[in-house]
Amino acid sequence: MALTALDIYKVLPKTNCRECGFPTCLAFAMQLAAGKAAIDKCPPASPEAKEKLGKATAPPLPRVTVGTGDACVTLGDEVVLFRHEKTFYHPTAIAVSVSDALGDDAFRARLAAIRALSFDRVGQRLAVDLVALRYGSGDPGRYARAAAEALAQTGKPLVLAAPCEPLAAAAAAAAPSRPLLSPAPGEVEAGARLAASLGLPMIVKAAGLSGLEAALASARAAGARDLVADPGAASPSEAVAASVAIRRLAIAHRRAEMAYPTAFDLGGDFSAPFVAAAVLIPKYGSLLILDTADPADVLPLLTLRQNIFTDPQRPIQVEPGVYPIGTPTAASPVIVTTNFSLTFFTVRSDVEASKVPAHLLIADCDGMSVLTAWAAGKFSAESIAKTLAESGIGGTVAHRTLVLPGMVARLSGRIEELSRWRVLVGPQESSALPGYLRRLPPDAFAPAHG
Amino acid sequence: MTVPFPAQAFPGRILPVTLPAGAGGAAVTVGGQNALPLLPEGDHPNGAAVGMEVRTDACELPPSLARACGGRADDPVSFARFCARECGARFLFLSLSGCHPDGGGRSVSEGADIVRRVLSAVPHPVIVGGSGDESVDAQLFPAVAEAAPRPVFLSYADEKNYRLLAGAALAYGHGVVAWSPIDINMAKQVNLLLSDTGLPPERVLIDPLTGGLGYGLEYTYSIVERIRLAGLSGDAMLARPVLCHLGDAWKAREAADASEAGWGDVDVRGRRWEEATGWACLAAGADLLVCRHPENVAALGGQAWR
Repeated sequence: MALTALDIYKVLPKTNCRECGFPTCLAFAMQLAAGKAAIDKCPPASPEAKEKLGKATAPPLPRVTVGTGDACVTLGDEVVLFRHEKTFYHPTAIAVSVSDALGDDAFRARLAAIRALSFDRVGQRLAVDLVALRYGSGDPGRYARAAAEALAQTGKPLVLAAPCEPLAAAAAAAAPSRPLLSPAPGEVEAGARLAASLGLPMIVKAAGLSGLEAALASARAAGARDLVADPGAASPSEAVAASVAIRRLAIAHRRAEMAYPTAFDLGGDFSAPFVAAAVLIPKYGSLLILDTADPADVLPLLTLRQNIFTDPQRPIQVEPGVYPIGTPTAASPVIVTTNFSLTFFTVRSDVEASKVPAHLLIADCDGMSVLTAWAAGKFSAESIAKTLAESGIGGTVAHRTLVLPGMVARLSGRIEELSRWRVLVGPQESSALPGYLRRLPPDAFAPAHG
Repeated sequence: MTVPFPAQAFPGRILPVTLPAGAGGAAVTVGGQNALPLLPEGDHPNGAAVGMEVRTDACELPPSLARACGGRADDPVSFARFCARECGARFLFLSLSGCHPDGGGRSVSEGADIVRRVLSAVPHPVIVGGSGDESVDAQLFPAVAEAAPRPVFLSYADEKNYRLLAGAALAYGHGVVAWSPIDINMAKQVNLLLSDTGLPPERVLIDPLTGGLGYGLEYTYSIVERIRLAGLSGDAMLARPVLCHLGDAWKAREAADASEAGWGDVDVRGRRWEEATGWACLAAGADLLVCRHPENVAALGGQAWR
């Protein structure tokens, strides 16, 4: 299956010509083996080597892009079945549908509702990625105009879900924005010819794995290249089984003829679309089309996507600094912890629960939790003293008393020496903070003298 | 040409564990599978089971959740009946949070008495959660173990208190929930320690610590997935049913805050927040879910899964 760097090195020219940008052929081979470089960077390679290495080092799941510029959405291009093995790279794209059969005002209101599905969390913007335009008007001209308006109003790439006649009308006009074509299941070949002629990506919809295999083959034969597979599932269990099957065939079985990103239309008669979406986000769905534009449905799904597509090796960090909780005063407690986002949010929520206003001082610990950062020397007496000095917190509060996580109680003496702040050892677990803060004597944060 | 489902076979099997019921009640058995969840492969003799949490503390629920519970959550015994009879909970997680000094400070004997009354009010399997205060729990678990008129599971044992829990469980025939803080090595270690005490493995569940949606769920997701893959691959200490307590989902501001107009109806959003947390846990491999929203028992309990 996958080639080692040494296997690759054997078929390279071994001249160390550096045309690839790496100092030696062996270094280049290692990059190829890791999937970080492509064989086309090696002009002197023999045609046989190019063919062999091109196949063996190609990503197991090709990428398909929809849209252009900042709004470009990447589907597929994943390398593992379980996120802990490396990471999932390209978050499940979420499209919300609108029908061209709506009256003009309702159509615009729906587009505005889709555009409003955008939320800021943990310093990231979470938003719906695409608009799926359904054909219900019976008027290809209207469908094409609706596509242009949806594009203009939302700036989001389109999924054009329609039979070939209206699809051709809308696709021709919208082609520069690189929409994703979704022809009716009976029109795979005609749709594929249209996609091929415009150079656009296309959803191939067919029932089940066998139906898909045949439909994908006919779409390829018609010249379409950027394909997305929709197994036509009608329920969560069918959808998840098909999604897992297609991803396993691509990554574990290297079945190139089935290796495509997936799409699931969870609208219309689909049973339990929220359930299907919640399981398809961790289980390999590349694109989900939803009929709901209710933020109460969409915000949980976007948050789940944010969680699952966080790189397990690079936790989300928060900006170091001072965070007011409630409306703290110059006499409110100062509590220090690390900038690991989970630590931050846990401590923040526990301090909020205490109803005691406080200043939360976040030290820069490369996004590690308290114990991990302490073990790595990132959350030390020196770094905490430095954070106290550089944060300017001394100008915000009148006292000089710091609450330290109980896990690192042993740092207190040294912090007091370095910073001249008094240290109160807080609880071992953040969950005990509410009781701890409520029990602190009122004079614990009295103004410092001198 | 037909494309068969590319099934993934494993050498191991998750140990079946039964949560016993009282007279007239239905025991809950989970585990027994030799495959990943939610897929048409392998044997799944027992599906996942959804239970509900019964609290005993004075802490206020988010208003949307309190509304959904219809104000019944104040009295543990009548709330237990509501969960069991009206919501369809297959088991109850009775949290003695009210015995924590910050949760109402009920005495150990009061806590034991609540356990006795809940167990006689409903025949469903019960997991009894401690107060969360180390010194209280040192008294509470032995008292609960003695007071319970029928076998329950005690939650939870960690690497510090496992002797206490195992002792109480062995003396009175109870089971134990083995807890670890999102750490597969610690999950294994606690199970090893418990097995050294002589507690039979079919009386142990794994609680890997469940982070709520948006607040650490991804860590739980991957730990549950890793525990399950290790168990199916033959690591006996991890081939145990996994319990995920979804309560953390309700700590998220997004689940409970009614003030953000752009976030949609808080009644729907809160329920969805817990439900999405639950589905991610099920997708990772959880066998038992503990939820707080009455409607999520049915939502997560398989009715939607077809």
